[in-house]
Amino acid sequence: MSRLYDTAEPSLVDEELLQKAVEEQGPQDQAGQIAKEEGIQYDEVCQLRLDYKNILKIDHLWQFTSLTKLQLDNNIIEKIEGLGRLTNLKWLDLSFNNIEGIEGLDSLVKLEDLSLYNNRISVIENMDTLLNLHVLSIGNNFLAQLENVIYLRKFKNLRTLNLAGNPICKEDRYKIFVAAYLPELVYLDFRLLDEQTREQAFGKYQYAIEEMRHNEAQERRAMDARQEQEDELKLHRDAFVELLNGPYLFDSMYADDAEAAKLAYLPGVSVLLETYKNHLVALCVQVFEIGLAQRGRREDEVKSFFDCSREAVDDNQQRAAQIAADFEKARRQVMSEMQQATDTRLLEAQMNHCSEEINQLCDSLMTQELQLVDQLEDIIKDFERNISDMVAGFIEVVQGIFAQCRDLENHHHEKLLEIAVATLERVAKNELEEDMPDDVRMLFVDKDTVINAVSGSHDTHLLKIDNREDELMTRCNSWMSALMKSVQDEEVKRNRKRISEIHNYIDYVRDQLDEMQHEHH
Amino acid sequence: MEVLPKVESVKEVTAASTLMLKSNPNRPERAQEVDLSQYPTSYKENSPQEKLLLAIADNFCCQYMHLYPDRKPLLLCPLNECGVQKCVSTTLRPTLLSYPELYSWEGCASFVSEFLSLELLDPPIDPPRHLYSPTWLMQTQRGSCFDFSTLLCSLLLGAGYNAYCVSGYAVKEMCLLNQSLQECPLLGKATEQKRQVKKYSVKPPRDLRSGFEQRQEERRQSDAQAILLKKQQEAERLQEERERLPPDPLLGLRVHCWVLILSGNREVPENFFIDPLTGKSLSTTNKCFLGIESIWNHQNYWVNMQDCRFGCAEMNFDLGDAVKWEYLLYGTTGQSLLLIPDMKKQQEAEDDEEEEVDDPKVFEMPPSWVNQINISQQDMETRCPGGMKVIQYRKAKLEKFAPYLLPDGLVTRLTTYSDLDCDTVKEWYQHRHDHLEERELKKTSNVNIEHFRPGRSYALKSHRYITMAPETERQMDFYSHARADGLARRVEMPFEMTETFEDRPDFIYHRHVVFGKRVKVFGPSNTEVVERFNRDRSKPAGEDVAERIFLVSEDRIQVTYHREDDRIIPAWRNFIKPRDSGDSQNPHSFTPQMASTFQVDPFEKPSKNLFLYEMLVHMMKEEERVALKVKESEKEVRAILGVREQEESSIELHISIYNTARNERARCHREALERTAKEERLRQEEKELDFLAPFLAQLGDPENLTRQAALQLRNDCLADLKQRLIDKANLIQARFERETQELQQKQQWYQKNQLTMTKEDEDEYLAYCSDAMFRIHILKLRLSRHKDKAPQKYMALDERLRRDPRLKATQGCFGHGFDVQL
Repeated sequence: MSRLYDTAEPSLVDEELLQKAVEEQGPQDQAGQIAKEEGIQYDEVCQLRLDYKNILKIDHLWQFTSLTKLQLDNNIIEKIEGLGRLTNLKWLDLSFNNIEGIEGLDSLVKLEDLSLYNNRISVIENMDTLLNLHVLSIGNNFLAQLENVIYLRKFKNLRTLNLAGNPICKEDRYKIFVAAYLPELVYLDFRLLDEQTREQAFGKYQYAIEEMRHNEAQERRAMDARQEQEDELKLHRDAFVELLNGPYLFDSMYADDAEAAKLAYLPGVSVLLETYKNHLVALCVQVFEIGLAQRGRREDEVKSFFDCSREAVDDNQQRAAQIAADFEKARRQVMSEMQQATDTRLLEAQMNHCSEEINQLCDSLMTQELQLVDQLEDIIKDFERNISDMVAGFIEVVQGIFAQCRDLENHHHEKLLEIAVATLERVAKNELEEDMPDDVRMLFVDKDTVINAVSGSHDTHLLKIDNREDELMTRCNSWMSALMKSVQDEEVKRNRKRISEIHNYIDYVRDQLDEMQHEHH
Repeated sequence: MEVLPKVESVKEVTAASTLMLKSNPNRPERAQEVDLSQYPTSYKENSPQEKLLLAIADNFCCQYMHLYPDRKPLLLCPLNECGVQKCVSTTLRPTLLSYPELYSWEGCASFVSEFLSLELLDPPIDPPRHLYSPTWLMQTQRGSCFDFSTLLCSLLLGAGYNAYCVSGYAVKEMCLLNQSLQECPLLGKATEQKRQVKKYSVKPPRDLRSGFEQRQEERRQSDAQAILLKKQQEAERLQEERERLPPDPLLGLRVHCWVLILSGNREVPENFFIDPLTGKSLSTTNKCFLGIESIWNHQNYWVNMQDCRFGCAEMNFDLGDAVKWEYLLYGTTGQSLLLIPDMKKQQEAEDDEEEEVDDPKVFEMPPSWVNQINISQQDMETRCPGGMKVIQYRKAKLEKFAPYLLPDGLVTRLTTYSDLDCDTVKEWYQHRHDHLEERELKKTSNVNIEHFRPGRSYALKSHRYITMAPETERQMDFYSHARADGLARRVEMPFEMTETFEDRPDFIYHRHVVFGKRVKVFGPSNTEVVERFNRDRSKPAGEDVAERIFLVSEDRIQVTYHREDDRIIPAWRNFIKPRDSGDSQNPHSFTPQMASTFQVDPFEKPSKNLFLYEMLVHMMKEEERVALKVKESEKEVRAILGVREQEESSIELHISIYNTARNERARCHREALERTAKEERLRQEEKELDFLAPFLAQLGDPENLTRQAALQLRNDCLADLKQRLIDKANLIQARFERETQELQQKQQWYQKNQLTMTKEDEDEYLAYCSDAMFRIHILKLRLSRHKDKAPQKYMALDERLRRDPRLKATQGCFGHGFDVQL
């Protein structure tokens, strides 16, 4: 108990303390001796026990990055700190300290067992990231609100919980409440939660829990739906035809066009707009469908290419590995024979033979690799040609459709112009029956204004269409070049790795042989 | 027209059947039990309907003979087993039996082919004079091909097939059931798989060899191959010549009968034939069938009008076509058959009379005169006559036995031959207690292969061996999922053992042990153990052991890791074990020279000595553990061999508890129940023995008794019992006295001659004394018991007499004190 040590001098975590603890708790006997000779690296220590040390402040532990178990119990620690880098921690014991709040555990995502027994904690908080928690001991603290338990619902793996000795345990409904809100819990306060309690709990808190569950389920569903939507959009984006399966393009054409909105008031224009919209949307949908189909084809092509190249690489690797393995087996045999041999001349001959073998191995492995490079180069070329054909074909078709869109726009523009001119004439003759908003009427002051307005609108529309077309084409082309670049880069990387691997091995084998030679001289 | 059976024909039949019995000693004796007098009258007489049918048939035959004098007479109305003329169509008796296997044509055909044995036609170019009913066939299990077809067709019609009997001509092999030129169906062939070609498959590496040399080589090889091929062809030709049968002088004349199934019913997609002798289906264009005379089912009879000079290949089976098929009865075409013949028949029977009045022109085939076919459970199981059948195939002999017929559970034996020598013997077993299912013996290499059903001890699946002695060459396969250690196979050679594992949590899949020379006391010690592991994806490749080799004799341990996915060379660590075998007080001295390491990645930090040391210690522990495992494996092999040997020496068959016929305990239980029931019945009868009968008889069995007479009767009855009891007591008493007297005399005699007696005489006397004493004692006991029982018996009789309804008149008259006076 920390209070017992109140009289003693609080100590700090320092080099000396750590060194001593590591040596004491490290490997024993022969292993310990070897370890001492070599020196123990702090980042290799997996377990550390720092109990009954009267530690006031956690410090200097940042080096122990591979620590999985840390015991800091029975000290006088007041604040959880300095543990942020111990991300491999699975087991953390902070019991019998003077901690007042839970904090500083956010990065310990692997934590499974956490003990905060006998501290001064009044709220369960700041543990959102510890989703792997199996065991939580937080007994003998100052928890006064039963609602703290609800926070623990997010730990789906929590099976063992200790809350004994908190003020909340005095409440009558304590056990039932916990059982009801944590249905997955197996042990509470060192005891198995029996079926009876669970049933009772379920009966009592049925509605509250049902509601909570319902809300949670709804949230999950909403999340799923959102995810699904995003996936679909991503699919469309991959096909470079997103937002073409509806009137989005049309809407965007008219979104930034103030003139068009004014012109829509002219008689006959709304009908015209309607048919125009229908035609344009039909074309967009055509692009969309072609895009999706093409994407499927491209995907198949890519998959087939990668399958085949992987197969070829695997096959080649298998063969090379077999060669290397056979050589290694033979080499070990020869080496052990040579170690026992005594006849110098014979040994010399064997050495020569051996180095020749090594050269041969080097050659054959390199040949294998070169063959593979050749083969892959061929199929990469084929693949590049096919993919670029595909992309070019796709772009051509899309361009054709977009040309139709432009024609449609031109046609629409002419019609609109006709109506506008006719309206202008009627306005000039004052024959107009319908009343127009003032800003629309302003357009018809003279011919130039009207024509400018109409062709301004026309230009905006054409620009939008062109932009969409350009975007599709650039993205498609950049996708292709990125793909080809990555394929080639991968191949280069693979080749370099293989070559360096072969050299590494050959060097090692030669070194061994040389060593043997030296020994014998 | 002859309707009534002739006396001669009956005689002929019986004579023929006795002849048949004599000619075949192997025949089961069941034929003798066939009692024709037990058969119903429909077998011995013709109904008016049938008589009419016979008249029509006779007329039809006459016309046919007149129109086609060249063609053979039709088989339309042969004699049945009782010597009565019956139409072939009415001999068919569509029957659906309750055995599920008889619901498909395959099941029916194989049953018929196995159940009956063939009697050849004599002469082979004429149809038989007799056609036996299925009832007769079920009893005799013998018949001609016509009888086979009749039975099979009856079963098929019952099962709803559109089946017909076909009378025609076939090749000799088929008529004589000679299958010695056919491949055995049990010798299946493996199927090949095709590989799929992918779009981006890489080209094979460029060939750098000289094209010219290659061509030369090719030419040389092709020449050699041509010679080889020629030789082979020559050999094949010779072989064929040898196997080819001499041409059959009776080709095209041999009469045969088989079954035709037309498509339509029971989802049969196309017409086909079934040869009832082999039970196999054949295409309607098969070359074995040379011609068709006529076909019939249970409703009509058709004569073929098509040309059969070139076999049956172009035969048309549209029976509605009157040009191609001449029918016997008008109105019932081949297409109008119903699925459920029985129901139709019933209706027909009901409608018969009315129809005759209404429309005398349409005459329908009368119902079958044959009784329903009845196949007993035992026949179904025994199948072949006598429970066994032997079939000769090309270079193979197939023997079939009924289950439980042979004491070792053998059901099928297939012997294959290469030319003259026996090559392999394959045997199939059923109901074996040791789960043996199949055994194959290769005569040439003397290798035995045994296969077992799941459920054996040690989950043994198959066992391949030459001898049963341990430490010889053998291979055992196991049901790995049923074993805790996941062992799938263990191959043993002298001084070597290889084990293969499946689905192990520690990923090991291979263990190979090489044994050194045998040390006398400790058994063979292993010199080398190789263990291989599958990749454990949860670990990085550089830490996942792929292979570890314990070179025990060299004190070395080699550990090789898995290759990383894109590498060709694995990392490894080699250890040399410390010479001093370490214990807890004096641990191993470890120097860094003991371990050598190859790292795949040269930039990786070399592992620490501490790690190497710990690994070495671990490996040494593993080595000990593996040695133990190997010992266990050897022990297991010996245990399995022991168990197998014991099982083979005392073969037991497993009998299901549901098999009431064979299960000994169940039968005993049933018999015991029956016996007790019988005893109970006897006792009951005894109880009802009437003891008043003799006294009533004295009075002349009067209807009613007067009070006086009743009283008298009762008194008589009681007095009689009393007298008998007294007599009995007196008898026992007399015997008792006689014995005592004799004993006394003997004793006196003994006392007189005691001194002059020999040892034997004395012994004899003593033996006599003890015997006599025993007898006297028994008599005494009997007497006292009789004294006790006698009043009880008397009272019991009194009570019963008082209750007897016939002696009601004596009511109210009590008080007959009784005591047996001795």
